[in-house]
Amino acid sequence: MIARAAAPLPPVTTIGYVGWLRKNLFSSWGNGVVTVLLGVLLAGMVVKLGSWILVEADWTVIVSRVPLYIVGLYPYEGYWRLAICLLLISVLFGMAWRTWPSAARRFALAFAAVMLFVGVFPHEMATLHRVLLLLNLPAIGLGYFLTPSATQASPRRLESSAGGGLSHVLDRIAILSTPRRKLGAVGVVLVITIILIFGIGGVPGLDPVNPQDLGGLMLNLLLAFFGILCSLPIGIGLALGRRSSLPVVKVACVAFIEVIRGVPLITLLFMSRHILPLTFPADLNVDRVYLAGITITIFSSAYMAENVRGGMAAVHTGQAEAASALGLRGWQTTLMVTLPQGLRNIIPGIVGQFISLFKDTSLVYFIGMLDLVEMGRVSIQGNQEFIDNGREVYLFLALVFWVFTFSMSFISRRIEGALGVGRR
Amino acid sequence: MGLHEAVTRLLYIQGVPIWRNVIALRWALQIVSAVVVLSAIALFLLNVAREIEARDLPFGFSFLDRAAQIPIGEAIIPYQPSDSYLHGLVVAALNTIRASVLGVILATVIGILVGVARLSPNWLLNRLALAYVEIFRNIPLIVQLLFWLAIVLTLPKVAEGFVIADTFYLNNSGFFLPWLSAQDGFWPWALISVVGVGLAILAYRRLSRREVETGRQSYPLLAGAGIVVGISLVALLALTPLTVDVPQIEGSFGRLQGGAELSGNFMALLVGLVVYTSAFIAEIVRAGIQSVGKGQTEAARSVGLSGLLTLRHVSFPQALRVVIPPLISQFLNLTKNSSLAAAIGYPDLVSVANTMTQIAPAISLFMIVMFSYLSMSLVYSLIGNLYNRTLHFKGS
Repeated sequence: MIARAAAPLPPVTTIGYVGWLRKNLFSSWGNGVVTVLLGVLLAGMVVKLGSWILVEADWTVIVSRVPLYIVGLYPYEGYWRLAICLLLISVLFGMAWRTWPSAARRFALAFAAVMLFVGVFPHEMATLHRVLLLLNLPAIGLGYFLTPSATQASPRRLESSAGGGLSHVLDRIAILSTPRRKLGAVGVVLVITIILIFGIGGVPGLDPVNPQDLGGLMLNLLLAFFGILCSLPIGIGLALGRRSSLPVVKVACVAFIEVIRGVPLITLLFMSRHILPLTFPADLNVDRVYLAGITITIFSSAYMAENVRGGMAAVHTGQAEAASALGLRGWQTTLMVTLPQGLRNIIPGIVGQFISLFKDTSLVYFIGMLDLVEMGRVSIQGNQEFIDNGREVYLFLALVFWVFTFSMSFISRRIEGALGVGRR
Repeated sequence: MGLHEAVTRLLYIQGVPIWRNVIALRWALQIVSAVVVLSAIALFLLNVAREIEARDLPFGFSFLDRAAQIPIGEAIIPYQPSDSYLHGLVVAALNTIRASVLGVILATVIGILVGVARLSPNWLLNRLALAYVEIFRNIPLIVQLLFWLAIVLTLPKVAEGFVIADTFYLNNSGFFLPWLSAQDGFWPWALISVVGVGLAILAYRRLSRREVETGRQSYPLLAGAGIVVGISLVALLALTPLTVDVPQIEGSFGRLQGGAELSGNFMALLVGLVVYTSAFIAEIVRAGIQSVGKGQTEAARSVGLSGLLTLRHVSFPQALRVVIPPLISQFLNLTKNSSLAAAIGYPDLVSVANTMTQIAPAISLFMIVMFSYLSMSLVYSLIGNLYNRTLHFKGS
């Protein structure tokens, strides 16, 4: 029998931890010096920052007023309504988990973990709110099972076929089988959320909330969300106008887009405070929240227009040529061929724009809104005892914003992968 | 009969009915769209004008000549509250430009360093660069600015502040550093230096051409630089146009006099703008370098260029074409973002205009401000596009 010659093992210094260290940190003398210097610097910073965060910093200014940062001056009696909105959003999280497991699972789980933590953590909180927060966990599950998995058959077919047991029940529950139904569910959640947040006059339990009292993180998210939602149709209109062959329309759209993009948002906000009220009848007192919303929508639509234009420019000209060869008219080609394909291209761009719009909503405090930043400023400047806690407050605000923007950019990258943008 | 024929001829141009004639349809559509757009704009303006009159709001630009009566904390050119609104706005605009230009320069330098570090083979270095980018571009600038201001406010007072070699002072009223101050001979010296630069350019062109034509090494860059430095240095020694002004603590209150001062507010603004923008620029630079084909770097390494030389002579010049357009848009963003100075007490354009609205008409003021930002955007785009064009000529 011939003994198989053992392959010679690689030298110890090229494999394992040692190999990794040599390759990535100490590949040359210069690299070694850089590594050591950076390591010392990093260690120093971590120690310094860590000891400041854990020992020196006084976090009372945050801990004592958490609701203020999250919902602003929203009336305490209405908190249960916001909690129900959260439940609905949990259902959406569950749906997203089932639909795009790779992108959404972590977020659904993280959301559930936060809810569990806040619901169980021993601090001052009404039992009702605790229960409502904990209900988010089953709500995520509900959303998950309402959506059929890719392998599940459509419910209609199952009705005729014989089945039994748990899997049969699950199949019957999974009613959101088509994209249209899913969109419908999202729409229903949206409408109910708006009603719950703002309230309806005359309905017991749903007393209208003064828009001025909306605040905190909730206000930032609301402004960014509705800014993007409302700016999408306007942006599409502007982008089509910019591609138009009619000079007047084209010039008007280009002028609008470039002027809005050329000035800082803050000047638009100041301007809107003075000019927008003039465009409404004098006796109609439009709340500043809506003025801010309109301004942010206008601002965002100019950027959205450029986004859409880029997406449509990426559609191959052969598509439009093929459409006109088939006898479609100009507007038919746009609406049925180039626009839908262009819109698919811009989905990652829209997420990116949502992130930057979310960051930009931090500017509304300049016109007197009670957003997250303003809540932080009020906490410091309104209280003599917290006047020196600026660093703590702004570090906390930075962390809150960062968690949201960073996770959104993570999702955006995953969606990009899932849609195959740039690959097809 | 004649009438019918005339109408027919009018309606059927070359046998095609006018409602099916493409040219006529386009004209009709143009006119309709023009009427719609113009009337919408007119309606908006008229409505606003009527409301301004009805509500007795102040409007117009006659206020610009009157005395502004507001203090401006920092000014590059002399300013007193008794100066006019127009002068106050110019001072504020200069403050904005100062923040913008300094910010652009620093952000570009740091952005390039971080962007290159993102591609470093050293794991620790590229992870740290990644952390820098992901942390700072994902936090709203306003929060960062307020944070930096909070840090500046915790710095010690002038008397207990940080001092380096009795020349650099860092404390809660700002950062003080030595600066050059112009003497009598400044303008003659500046003139001589400009002439020197002209001569140097001439020499550079001459020698480069000789090098290309004859193949003999002529050191055009060295000669040019030598001429500039030589002439300006001789003139400097002869005329003594500049003296170094070192800040000093004066009086029992410990006020710092002399040198250049970067106020605490300005420092917070500059640090915030630079850190925020450099995170975006780093990503642009990284993408630009990665867009250069791998074969280019490999070829450079194989002809014996070191890592740094490869970056300098092969990767950067090619990446520049991809990098410049998004870089310009970041410069524009930085300029627009400098308007957040209003939040941290640096008297920039928006901040000063906002203070002026207490007396002067707000709508007019912000129209001026928006117009100023539009012009600044235009200037940046123009410079950037011109530069970009020179790059493309070389490439093709």
